[in-house]
Amino acid sequence: MIEVNSLKKIYEVKRREKFFFIKKEKIEAVKNISLRMEKGGIVGLLGINGAGKTTTIKMLTTLIEPTEGTYTFDGIDAIAHPDIVKRQINMIAGGERMIYWKLTAYENLWYYGQLYGIENNLLKKRIEELVKLVGLEGKADLPVETFSKGMKQRLQIARGMINDPKYIFLDEPTIGLDAIVTQELHKEIRRLAKEKEKGILLTSHYLSEVEELCDYIYLVNAGELVFEGTKKDLTDYVFSGNRYIFSVKGMDEAIVIKLRDYLRGIDFESEVEHLGGNAVISSKAELSSNIAAFAVDEGLVINELHKVEPSLEQAVIKLSQNIENKGIDIA
Amino acid sequence: MKNFIKVLIAECHKQHRNYFNNMLIYVSLFLWPLLSFMASYYSYKAFDVEGSIVSYISGGNMPVFLLIGYMGMSFFRSVVQSAWHFSQERQGGTLEYIYLSPASRIAVIFGNALSSVFEGSVAMVVFGMLLIFYNKAALNINLFGLMAVIPIFLCASLCWGAFMNACFLYSRDSDFLFTVLEEPMEIFAGVKIPVNIFPQWARLISCIFPLTYALEALRQVTLNAAGIGDMKKVFIISIIIILVLFSATLITIYVVERHMRKTGNFILF
Repeated sequence: MIEVNSLKKIYEVKRREKFFFIKKEKIEAVKNISLRMEKGGIVGLLGINGAGKTTTIKMLTTLIEPTEGTYTFDGIDAIAHPDIVKRQINMIAGGERMIYWKLTAYENLWYYGQLYGIENNLLKKRIEELVKLVGLEGKADLPVETFSKGMKQRLQIARGMINDPKYIFLDEPTIGLDAIVTQELHKEIRRLAKEKEKGILLTSHYLSEVEELCDYIYLVNAGELVFEGTKKDLTDYVFSGNRYIFSVKGMDEAIVIKLRDYLRGIDFESEVEHLGGNAVISSKAELSSNIAAFAVDEGLVINELHKVEPSLEQAVIKLSQNIENKGIDIA
Repeated sequence: MKNFIKVLIAECHKQHRNYFNNMLIYVSLFLWPLLSFMASYYSYKAFDVEGSIVSYISGGNMPVFLLIGYMGMSFFRSVVQSAWHFSQERQGGTLEYIYLSPASRIAVIFGNALSSVFEGSVAMVVFGMLLIFYNKAALNINLFGLMAVIPIFLCASLCWGAFMNACFLYSRDSDFLFTVLEEPMEIFAGVKIPVNIFPQWARLISCIFPLTYALEALRQVTLNAAGIGDMKKVFIISIIIILVLFSATLITIYVVERHMRKTGNFILF
């Protein structure tokens, strides 16, 4: 298990002032982050604004040293022994960089395999398996510069698994991939976690991806953890109560205002918004029957009335709006 | 040790495949040195160089003197260029993955330099054949001396390349080293002007470059038939320089990784 407690990173940056004068400033990129990654689990690390996500991943992958805090890796002090950690982790980042374009896919994988000291026969076998896994069979001997964006990304994924790591850090792994490959990769990520017992940390701007894959979510903002829990915990935390979508034939602003007045008679705190031809209702009370009664009383023909579970994306957007507008209690 | 050698070979192979099939390599290894050689040769041709204070220079072997100079220059330039290419791995993001792995940093740095030593050797063979073809009569080679000088020459360039690699890793802004080191090396290391005729201040600068000693040794054994005994002083200085460069490289690699772990300075973008 990976466990970090009260992780902090302060960078010292130099700013040039006038000619030769340099002013040193301290920037606290990560203020106080604690998290856990377990084998077989997929955790999401989401950031709001300049969150410190990258710095956190770099500390977890031992690329940078925390200024304060503890980092335990399967019972080992990872800050004191980064070399032990390096053998058992890998990172997969999105994008087309980080591979050698003039080399073939096979040569890239062979090179990275050698960096991990993998025995030659085993490496050869593993490369064949990985090439097959990421769908690059028949393309392994072509220079990477001839690859499409998606093929380069698939090679990145194979590279990240070359040392059969126990823990994998996925930083925007599906960026630029088409829907089919993304789905295949999602399946593979789940298989790695559930069948091969890998611990996975995922960061992604595609919140639907995080929602689909992650068992547990850490949400950071300005270097601090603002929420941790399951997707349901987060949506419950942000949207306390129920949400309904309601639409009727001839829906207009006047109907929405009438509905708002009607529902506030039942729950004073209920909210009704007119969005995309629908009325979106939020309330702590159970209002389905009241909304239906309203439609009958008014002689309206109901097109749609159902309760909706807010998505992770909606929860994160709402939470970031709360942070910008009012600040937020740290969970 | 097994893993060290694996990484050394892998890095050497990668660097070779990544850059040696690049047009830039051929231009900088062959075309620029040849053009510079011609420029220097015709500049000297306007003057009478007979009676030079340098024992191995005469009107007859001036082209050979210059060819050896540019052969050495081409060799050492290739390792500096290779180091500059290596620094671009920071922008490419691949440096981050190298440091993410447990691979020996020393093996990576030396493997990288070794690749350019190999490329330099190809250039050396081409220049050597040119030498023989152009003016065989001007050569006065001591074979044992040459056999002792070549390994020293190769080691000096390998250590110089490794040291440059380590320096280029230190900072995002160390590209300036390429400009600072390349031209002065041509001027002060005795590529086209013998170091013996430099004023004292310029000789001090010459001392910095391993190429200075490598060229002196190479010219002595190929133009003056100097034997191992005659070259004792140059050999000792070269070995000291190799040891100093090797130690400085190890220290720099250690300092670089500590610095990077503190600053997170692995990538540019």
